[in-house]
Amino acid sequence: MRDVCVIGTGLVPFGKYPDKTLAEIGWPAVREAILESGVPPKQIDAVYCGTALGGMLAGQRVMKSLGVTGMSIINVENACSSSSSALAEAWTAVASGRHDVVVVVGVEKLTKFGGGTLPLEKEDWEVNQGMVMPALYAMRARRYMHEYGLTARQLGEVAVKAHDHGALNPNAQIRKRVTIEEVMASRPVADPFTLWHCCPTGDGAAAVIIASGDVARRHKTDPVRVTASEVTSGLYTNGYRDMTWAELTARGAKEAYEMAGVGPADVDVAEIHDAFTIAELMYYEAFGFCERGHAYELLASGATSLGGDICVNPSGGLLSRGHPVGATGAAQAVEIVRQLEGRAGAHQVEGARVGLAHATGGGIAGLDHGACSIHIFAR
Amino acid sequence: MTNPGTLVVNPDAASADSRFVAPELVALDAKGAPRLIGGRCAKCSAVSFPRAAVCTECLSEEVAETELAHEGKLYSFSVVHQAPRGWTVPYALGYVDLSDDVRVLAHIDAPAEQLSIDMPLRLSVGAVGIDTAGVPLLSYTFTPV
Repeated sequence: MRDVCVIGTGLVPFGKYPDKTLAEIGWPAVREAILESGVPPKQIDAVYCGTALGGMLAGQRVMKSLGVTGMSIINVENACSSSSSALAEAWTAVASGRHDVVVVVGVEKLTKFGGGTLPLEKEDWEVNQGMVMPALYAMRARRYMHEYGLTARQLGEVAVKAHDHGALNPNAQIRKRVTIEEVMASRPVADPFTLWHCCPTGDGAAAVIIASGDVARRHKTDPVRVTASEVTSGLYTNGYRDMTWAELTARGAKEAYEMAGVGPADVDVAEIHDAFTIAELMYYEAFGFCERGHAYELLASGATSLGGDICVNPSGGLLSRGHPVGATGAAQAVEIVRQLEGRAGAHQVEGARVGLAHATGGGIAGLDHGACSIHIFAR
Repeated sequence: MTNPGTLVVNPDAASADSRFVAPELVALDAKGAPRLIGGRCAKCSAVSFPRAAVCTECLSEEVAETELAHEGKLYSFSVVHQAPRGWTVPYALGYVDLSDDVRVLAHIDAPAEQLSIDMPLRLSVGAVGIDTAGVPLLSYTFTPV
């Protein structure tokens, strides 16, 4: 396998763009990434576009807006992991030698659904019994609270930290600090979650351009390398499942660490899938940042805040930066690359050398989650 | 067992003007008590819910209908306040671990303050929402023992 590096990044601030088409939301991110890379558009060998709910040929719609067409364009749907799965496919294409320069774009427009919880697949029997994503995570939270003595107020501190970070990020959807009192007093969504425990819905796009090491070094000195790239799916079961343990993420993390030759202690910065507050705590444990049942202590210690040893979600994460489902994985990759290049601005993690991006999700009966994609970046 | 989609069920909970959300999942015994319809593989005996078309343990297509246990424990729950149209909010949703090692997502028919992890529950039928034509929706539910 060849070295794979990131040579360009682009991001449209996440927010609400009801008057724009999906293509209009997407192309500025790709344009920014192409211009940043310095690669002539003719050298782009392939495009992998991740979108969960964007409809047919999303990648073609985005790329034709720029007049950059004719190459292989593959559209990837994997729920919340759509554009991170697109990145994994792109990584394989470059690492294997098939392609030299590949665009990865994630784009989503959720405002077309008019707000509320994410529309889920009606074929799923749990959805037909009233399952919504907040309830799924809320049940994880409830059981975790029962087993480890976590309180709703402690859980709410995850949201406070997320918005402390997001307030520093000009690309975040919600740029507002919240207090624990505001978190506790906001309207209930799915007990124990109030509104601030849940990521907002919205629109957005992000793009990265990856290239083989040889090509990348012609355009950049010391480019960020993608040292691990993997996608896994949940394990199906009809029966008992320990919902306090993120089995799918833990399995993916182990594979990713092995691939990159690093461990949790080496990670300086991580963008992880905090769709709801409990998710961030469970993923601290799944990634080995702390022992099982000790995630709140890690949060309370400040280790995962800006200035801490392992800064988690400096962008504000899904809770604050926002979560236009299919765009999230690419946005995480953009964030980590800019962190490792030292150009994250007010929310820069000083001296970050190793970063991790993690997008997982998809409510589906019988599985922990539908998909999980993890990438590790190093400089 | 009878499919409740074709007959009037428990008069307290249903009328000819109501319908089940997923009638294939529930049956009523001779006394009108609800039963969950699962599947049991004829080859390896693995139990499924909903009844699998193909056994997820051995890939056999010989999966027969079977009646599942009607008591279980509440693994976890949430009171849902925001849901798509049709559901009557707030509603309590929970995962119930049945005594035959099947986990079932269900509406829990009990006041929020009575809900607790691991509490014993029994299968029941209840109204859970209203469809777009205004017809009340029923489903299997669980109530405290």
